[in-house]
This record gives sequence, C-alpha cells and structure tokens, in this order.
Amino acid sequence: MTTKNGMITKIKDYMLLREVMVILVILALLTFLFTSRGVPIILTIFIDFAIFAIITMSLNLETGYTGIPQFGRVAAVIVGAFAVGSIPGRIMARFMGFPWGIEYASDTVNFKVVPQITALLASNWLLSLGFLVLSLTVAALSGAAIGWLISRPAIRLKEAYLGISLLAFGDFFMWVGHNWKGMVGGSVPVNVPDPFRIFAGNRFTIIVLVIFTIAFLVFVFLNKLTKSPFGRSLRMIRDNDMAAAAAGKNIVTVRTRSLVIGSALAAIGGGLYVLYVGSVASIGFSRLTFTFWPWAFMMLGGIGSNIGVLLGVFLLCILRTMIVIFRSQWFGFLLVVGIDPLWLEFTLMGAVIIGVILFLPYGLVPEKIEPMLPANRVKRVLAGRQ
Amino acid sequence: MTPWMSSGLIYASGLALTAGSVTLIYITTRTFNFAVASMATIGFYVSYTGVILYGGLPYKYYPFVIIIGSIVGLICYYGLNRHLLRRRAAEITLMMSTLGYDLVLLSMIQMYTDFLTKTYKLFPRRVTMNIYDFELFGEKAAAFILPFIAIVFLMGLHMFLTKTKFGVAMRATIENPVLAGASGINSDRVYLVAWVIGGGMAALGGAFIAMAQTGTPVMGMFIIPLMFAGAILGGLGSLYGGILGGFVIGMTEYAGVFYLAQRFGPWVLGYRMGIPLMLMAITLLIFPRGLAGIPLVKLFGLLAGKKRGVNA
Repeated sequence: MTTKNGMITKIKDYMLLREVMVILVILALLTFLFTSRGVPIILTIFIDFAIFAIITMSLNLETGYTGIPQFGRVAAVIVGAFAVGSIPGRIMARFMGFPWGIEYASDTVNFKVVPQITALLASNWLLSLGFLVLSLTVAALSGAAIGWLISRPAIRLKEAYLGISLLAFGDFFMWVGHNWKGMVGGSVPVNVPDPFRIFAGNRFTIIVLVIFTIAFLVFVFLNKLTKSPFGRSLRMIRDNDMAAAAAGKNIVTVRTRSLVIGSALAAIGGGLYVLYVGSVASIGFSRLTFTFWPWAFMMLGGIGSNIGVLLGVFLLCILRTMIVIFRSQWFGFLLVVGIDPLWLEFTLMGAVIIGVILFLPYGLVPEKIEPMLPANRVKRVLAGRQ
Repeated sequence: MTPWMSSGLIYASGLALTAGSVTLIYITTRTFNFAVASMATIGFYVSYTGVILYGGLPYKYYPFVIIIGSIVGLICYYGLNRHLLRRRAAEITLMMSTLGYDLVLLSMIQMYTDFLTKTYKLFPRRVTMNIYDFELFGEKAAAFILPFIAIVFLMGLHMFLTKTKFGVAMRATIENPVLAGASGINSDRVYLVAWVIGGGMAALGGAFIAMAQTGTPVMGMFIIPLMFAGAILGGLGSLYGGILGGFVIGMTEYAGVFYLAQRFGPWVLGYRMGIPLMLMAITLLIFPRGLAGIPLVKLFGLLAGKKRGVNA
C-alpha cells in the first residue's frame, strides 16, 4: 500500500512540475515583453488570453469532456457577437427615440446614434452596468438557443459526420453575417455602444479586469460542473456511450445540454470581444480565428483538462503576439523577397497542432484521472465499513 | 446550354474530384482529410504559374498539377499519417493532424503568392483563370474539356481498382484490413497509394474549380465544407458515391442559385453555399448514412411488390 501511495505522489509531483514549468516559461516571456515593449502589450495579451480562454474552455467542455468534435465553434461566437451588436443597442435606441429598425444597422444612422447612446451610458454608472449585464445575458441566451437549434439535426450523427455538420453550420452563420445587412450591417462594420466609456482614461484596464473576472467565473463554473454528477455522466458518455446508455443515461439529452451550455459560454466570449473592440465587423469572425485557433490552444494545453487549456491559451497568445510585434525584426529576410511574416502565424498554428499530436498526444497538462469520490471521503467510507 | 450550366459543369466536376479524394482517403485510412483544401489551392496555383510564366492553355499543365498534388499527399502520409495509423490514433486525432498540415500548407501558399507579387509583379490574389481558355461552339471550351478529363481520370481509376492486381488488393484492404493483412497484402503501400492518388485528384479538382470561380489563396479553405458535404452526401462508404455526391452538390449550387435568384432577386447570391448545405442537412436527416444509405434494393422491391429478404 505504501509503495503504491509513494508512486501516486511521485506521479502527482511530476504533473505539478509540468504545470510549474509551463507557468515559468509564460512568466519569462511576459517579463521579456514587459521590459522590451511596456504595459499596453501586456494588457492586450491579457485580453486576448481571457476571451480565448472562455471560448476554448467552452470548446473543451464539448470536445474534451463530452466527445463532440465541435468544428463549428465559430457559430456560437458569431451569434453572441451579433446579438450584442444588434439587440442591446436597439433597445437603447428605442427608449431614446432614435430609429431602431433595419435602419439602425445602416452606417449613416449608426454613425450618429451610437455615440449619443454611449454618451448617455457614460453619464450614469448604473445604466452602464445594466447595459453590460443586458448584453451578456442576450449573448448567453442567443448562444444557448443556437446551440439547441444546431443540436437538433446533428446530435444523433456519428463522429466524422457530426464534426462536418457542425463545421457546415458554423460556415452558414458566417455567410448570414456577411450578407444580412439588416442585422449588423453585412460587410460594413457596425458600432456598439460602449459601457466602459464611463471610466474614461482607465477604460482599457477596467475592461481587462472585467473580462478576467468573467473568465475566472467561467473557469470556476466549469470546474464545478465537470466534478458534478452531470460532469461524470459527460465523461462516461465520452469514454463509452454504450455503457452509459446501459447505465440509464439518456445520451442525446446529456450531449444536447453540453452543447447548449458550451454554446452559451462561447457566445459570452464573442459578446465580450465585441464590447472590447467597440464594433462588429462580420468579416473578422472567421473559421480560422474562432474554431481552429481554439482547437490548437486546446490540443496544446491538453484535451479534457481545464487548467491545461488555460496554460495553452496563454502560451500561444503570447507567441502569436510576439510574431506580430517582432515580425520585421526577426523575420526581415522574408520581407526581402516580399513575403509578409504575418503568415507565420498560420505556420505556428499548424506546427503546434502537428507537433502536439506527434510528440505530446495528451498535451502540456494531461487530463487527470479523477476518482468518483475525493480520496479522503473514500478513506472515510472504508473506515466506516471496518 | 443555359448560362449557369457551363460553369456549373466545370465546378461540379471539380467538386466531384475533390469529394472523391476525401472519400478515397477516408475509406482507406479512416482519415478525414482537411488538407484537401490546400491541395486544391495548390493545384490551382500550379496551373496558374504554368500559364502565366510559360504561356499556353491551362490544360497543358494538368499533368504537373497531378504530380505536385501527389507529392503533397505523399509528404502528408510519410510525415504524419503513417505514424498515427501505426499508433492506432482516434478518428478525431487523424482529422486534426491533417488540419495542422493544411494550415502549414496555407501559410506556404500565402507566402508563395507574396513571392509572385513581388518578384514577377503579378496579381495572384484574385485570378480569373477562364480568360486563358478558348471558345468552342460559342461556349468556354472548359465546359466540354474538363468533364471529359474528369471522366477519363475516373475511368482510369476504376480500371486500376478493378483490373490490376494492386487495385484488387486495395479494395480488399478497404473492405477488411485485418483479413487483407493476413492474406499478405502490404497495407502500408495501400495507404501510400491512396494518399498519392487522393492528392493528385484533389489538386486536379482545385485546378478545375478555379476555371469556374475566382481563384484566391483561400479558395480551398472557403469551399471545403462543400467538398466534405459531397463526400458525406455520398455516404463516405464508396468512392463512386463520393464522386456522385460532389457532382450533385456542385450542380445544385449553380442551378439553385440561378433559379432562386430569378425568383426572389439577387440577394440570394450571397447565400449560395447555403443551398447545397441545406441539401446535405435534409439528406442526413432522412438518410443518416448519406446517398449510399438509401435502401435502393428495398425500394425497388417495394415497387415490384416483392417481400423483404427475397434477394438476400
């Protein structure tokens, strides 16, 4: 018994060591960036990290814990972004007596209306807070609705079929966004009222804090969720759906719930992104950024491990930013033949995916096999028996 | 021919080839190949480079297109897919590995277009390939030549699979890998040949599609849902089903957009890709295993008034 315990602690130490090493690398890179470029770049990285952490954790809930190959993450993100871009602003415009129908999204009207709404929001902090809460609620609700809608035809399909159907749905929402001018202006960006304007000079810092807090809440929520009986049934279905069905779990219901929760969280991520940028440009929401990047983050961090996903997102966000910042400095030889080093971002993404699959199949921080009950409770139960 | 038909035919034969490539690689190696997108784009850029630098008709360069596509497939097999197949990786892992390969290829294509722009002062980011075509019977010649090339290519593939010894071995491996291995068939070589043929097919399909649409570096990335939709519509079970599925998807898109735009106005054009995807979703709802899952025998039996199980 003692040797076994010793081995378990050894393995635990090893796992902890990995996490600590990744955190050290992240800190080293951050200090390097901080000393060479200063605070703003760090804040940008933090915002990128927090938004993509929310999206990637939602992806991890669906793919890592439930086993749905979610290749259509962009759908929920887009829906959240469009909901925030179209609905709360229209409600405000309605109350202030501005045009709020289809013409709200046309650039000539939008250009005049939105600054006035923002000015009103900036005058009253209660209104600002209410606007923020309303935006996030709208995003979460529409994301959940879309998740449910997508799950109807798709959830019964098998692995590859399911993945491709989700990919197709994601693209469908992308085209709707590009073409439907009445909602968020099609290819013309639409401005969004800014609930953070009340903080004037500190806007950026406050946004970082707010998004970080929400990301942290999502992390806590997902940790609780995956340790709950519901989370255990998710993992059971992922590992062996036949056994789960035999144990009386309704596979379709559980998977649908997972898809709905995941989509709602991803929609919140999309909505926060829109509030941070201040406008919705439907061109900006591509499959590459909001489906494939989160997949790369998740695979690097470790599928099915929330803490690993966070570390993976942080590491890759830093590397991505570094390519953007140092592109002329480090990759000047490419510029000589006319090649823009920004494309190296895709190379990095592809290389990370390939490298992780070949050499680190379980990611930086692999999923820990958790007992159904915590160890001390198992001990107590055993002691009670004797 | 009606106006949509000529470009629809070109586009549909391109999609048929790419969807066939997806299906071929899937049924041999269980890999859902994302890299088909960049393989198609590479095929288009090879033909474009040939035409722009050395002149002549685009058809002249199709052998090179096939060769380069095959090389891309070969690299993917030896560098990536082989190790994962040996490790018996899950289907999703195989899929993700090809996605990574696709992204690397995409970045290389983008760099190559940058290189062409700077070195040769060209505009390779928006290319209409059909201006290099000639007229035949008042239509673009591609509308006749490309379906013909596709049919010849597929006939050759069919002959290879049914008449040669290696083709029969390949089909045996597709049917039952374990049994085929036990009877002495080298499955490694079968997978390799599947990737080589698949790469060639995808590149040729991409060169076709660029004759009907504007060629861009993200062309393949943009239409990859349709390639997959074709393969899934065909049921992912048989190569011919995939080819048929791709063709149906391509023709539906052009015909559907043409008639719907006549009926409802030009705003339909923006949602053109929604039409074939809708077709795929409806097919999947009714027949969860695609076109190949339609119980034809049963249907004919019902029509002829036979009872079930007679011809079993």
